[in-house]
Amino acid sequence: MTRNNTGKEQIIRTICNSHCGGNCEMQVHVKNGRIIRIEPDDREGRPRMCLRGHAYRQRVYAPDRILYPLKRTGPRGAGEFSRISWEEALDTIAFEMKKVKSEYGNAAFLHFCSMCDPHVLHHVGAFHRLLCKFGGYTAPWGFISNEAAAFSAGATYGTYRRYSQVEHDSEEYLKAKYIIMWSWNPVDTEQGTNTPWHLMQAKEKGAKIICVDPRYTDSAAVFADKWIPVRPGTDTAVLVAMANVIINENLHDEGFINSYTSGFEKYKEYVLGSTDGLPKTPEWASAISGVAADEIKEMARLYATEKPAVLATSIAAGRTAFGEQYHRAAAALEAITGNLEFNDWQSRSPKGFRINPHPTPPNQVEQEAPPRWNALPFRGKSVNSSARVNISLFADAILKGKEGGYPADYKFLWLSNTNYLNQLSEVNKTAKAFERLEFMLVTEQFMTASARYADVILPVCTFLERTDIMSPRAASIFGGKNVVGILNKAIEPLGESKSQLQICEALAPKLGITDYGNEPDENRVREIVAQISEEINLPDFETLRKEGIHIIEASPSSDSLKGTHSKPSPKPFSTPSEKIDIYSDVLARMNHPQIPAVPTYIEPWESIHDPLTEKYPLQLITPHIKRRAHSQFDNLPWLRELQEQRLSIHSTDAELRGIRHGDMVRIYNDRGEVRIPADVTERIMPGVVAIPQGAWYTPDKKGIDYGGCANVLTKNATSPGGSFVSSTALVQVEKEDR
Amino acid sequence: MQYGFYFNQNRCMGCFACIVACKDWHDVPAGPVSWIRIKTIEKGRYPDLSVSFLPQLCVHCASPACAAVCPADAITKRGEDGVVVVDSEACLGSTCGLCLDECPYGAPQFGAEEDAKMQKCDLCIERISIGKKPICVSSCPMYALDAGPLDELWAKYGKCREIEGFEYSENVIPSIVFTPRKNSGNSRIRKIEIAPSVKTATSG
Repeated sequence: MTRNNTGKEQIIRTICNSHCGGNCEMQVHVKNGRIIRIEPDDREGRPRMCLRGHAYRQRVYAPDRILYPLKRTGPRGAGEFSRISWEEALDTIAFEMKKVKSEYGNAAFLHFCSMCDPHVLHHVGAFHRLLCKFGGYTAPWGFISNEAAAFSAGATYGTYRRYSQVEHDSEEYLKAKYIIMWSWNPVDTEQGTNTPWHLMQAKEKGAKIICVDPRYTDSAAVFADKWIPVRPGTDTAVLVAMANVIINENLHDEGFINSYTSGFEKYKEYVLGSTDGLPKTPEWASAISGVAADEIKEMARLYATEKPAVLATSIAAGRTAFGEQYHRAAAALEAITGNLEFNDWQSRSPKGFRINPHPTPPNQVEQEAPPRWNALPFRGKSVNSSARVNISLFADAILKGKEGGYPADYKFLWLSNTNYLNQLSEVNKTAKAFERLEFMLVTEQFMTASARYADVILPVCTFLERTDIMSPRAASIFGGKNVVGILNKAIEPLGESKSQLQICEALAPKLGITDYGNEPDENRVREIVAQISEEINLPDFETLRKEGIHIIEASPSSDSLKGTHSKPSPKPFSTPSEKIDIYSDVLARMNHPQIPAVPTYIEPWESIHDPLTEKYPLQLITPHIKRRAHSQFDNLPWLRELQEQRLSIHSTDAELRGIRHGDMVRIYNDRGEVRIPADVTERIMPGVVAIPQGAWYTPDKKGIDYGGCANVLTKNATSPGGSFVSSTALVQVEKEDR
Repeated sequence: MQYGFYFNQNRCMGCFACIVACKDWHDVPAGPVSWIRIKTIEKGRYPDLSVSFLPQLCVHCASPACAAVCPADAITKRGEDGVVVVDSEACLGSTCGLCLDECPYGAPQFGAEEDAKMQKCDLCIERISIGKKPICVSSCPMYALDAGPLDELWAKYGKCREIEGFEYSENVIPSIVFTPRKNSGNSRIRKIEIAPSVKTATSG
């Protein structure tokens, strides 16, 4: 990192988007082809980077970056590799792909590309196009972060838009008198660029803020006037009981309910207990959740009366068993109180924004397959195809294949910019599955736990080493206005690394695909800008690239752009009733006891009433940590030194086990064992422990993980709607014997 | 003129952006040296808790104890802006360490290497000279920090000179002003009351 003081210093503008939910402007200082520092955008009101963005130089020049193609020389998972040429790597991959295709057919290919740092060009679309041109492949379905929320939004509103109740614009927070932050910790997670700053402005204007969370998070510490600890997996019960208070005290908004919702009466029957004889009272919810009945009543009354009120239920509690119900109950509560804002979230993206730089033929593997049983119409035929495998179930699908009821036997896995092994549930099961593959290809920047299992690894450059365009979107930081921006290449790709798109371009001819294309990124971006400009007034490319994030001011004639924050008559919802479906016919037709038609509290598996608590009495949750975006950035020294990977455990639980702060502890269940130091704290509910997700799985010879990977302990099962379940797991903790 | 810092304890969320921005800007490697650090102050027992944050950095004292004690005269206070700077060539190194002993705020920083030279916050004088704010200020996503001539900071933010975790020292006269934390007590039992002014401002 020594700086050379000769040479001219240039400042290149780009936009960081490291899968945190934010987009922050960066001014990258470059001298002699090297990045020497990264400066934030210091214009007032512009998105400011977090610690990860500021550490990006260390990521680019990390000594452990993969800079050359590698082939495996030892057993899978051992991490033994040797350098090969691109030619050899591509030939090997093409040979194996053709072999698998001819022996097993295209369905035998599984591919997943996570978000990592892609934008428009360097995106899953590039791989999807290549694989579809190759005859198709098995694609995943389900968002790891928020499938429960997407499922709920699809059933309730008939749209994917506003998939979570956190999706409020900054203006909504600024207007609010009462804000409930539910399992939401934007101080640690970003989740919308600079969201904490908007919340702070709302707080300074006088909004009262409540924080419902098993942990006294930094967000609770900074924003909350009141912290309400809730037992993991029981959030739905509290939300349903709030509806009970509101209905019983006649605080619901009849006008809104009649105009915009459908099925309120059926929900009322469930909430009041007229169908099952069990009124969902605050006392009922209190016994389940640990939240005092009086707190539930107060929250319900204030939420229904102190308007405008914002219910910011984050996607974290949606990643518990039956998380769909949590999002459905929140949506219902928002609707029956009339707190739902119609800030045109149904049709936010203007036409010009629907860019697809990767035109793709249909995926042949999906063509004949009927829809899955739990498909929601709004997702479209392809995502709903039963030929796909749920994103949480790759390991299960590889291990069981057709015999286990999956549509195919899976032989070839391609992971791109994703540490799947680390980030999906039950690491030890996934490791076994990866050992069974005929071939595994990984395109990566670092030797992750997943990459260690690859047969061939291809080196991918970072976003500072390529040109792209920021995926255009409505940005909450700019009050929901649409934004777009150019990512300028700051330096040449390090070593022999290539961009995601370059990798596809290089592989295509080897696979006999002659029309994949091969065009410099900048030309492609210029074309995209020209396309957008046909619909939307944009500055020319050269101006745009110097600007950072460009805010598109709505023209008065354009109704598809950002409208006003009022309650106009909304366009009919794409639900069977054309209203907000509190009762959902679509869900009723799924005819599944765990997908009820009205929001319903269902006791999670591995709850505190499970007999398994005799062996494993503690509930594990796996929250985010500031210094990582999922598994990204875990290896950077500037960030590692700020926060040690530790188990949060309440002082009473620690005392029972003779554990003192900083002691090395064993955290285990039947699925595996993790050993990390204990953080003995008051800031977590007794009975609950937390391991921040994303730490890199680092097993010893016996398979005990010393890296602190939370998914060693999570259960490989999806919620019935298909969501990834990361915070429903029972564990035991004890002091490590030395 | 005396330059100094301003810190609003209500706004700081302990996000560490300032720490990493400072390390990147000044090219400080990972390790014991950090020109700015964030202290977390936790109080109470479950569920009645409060947590607040406090940056720790050189506060460019009016009478810097570090400069007074330095046997090599390596620490000086600049006349034009009152910024306390260190000449690392002249510094005797960590075996001396008298500056660290004297500083009430733990500002002097020494690396792990043998006989490491002292380094610390220089208020980003290079950035100030081209009209920019120090990198910690420019990087703060919560606008919790500011820096500038002390009289301007007083006019803008008042003259509060002590907050939780920071004791004002008459001996050294630190150049920092604060907005203290409101309601830093128990957050759980506080009764939620909606202020009438808020009701009026946003009703209808």
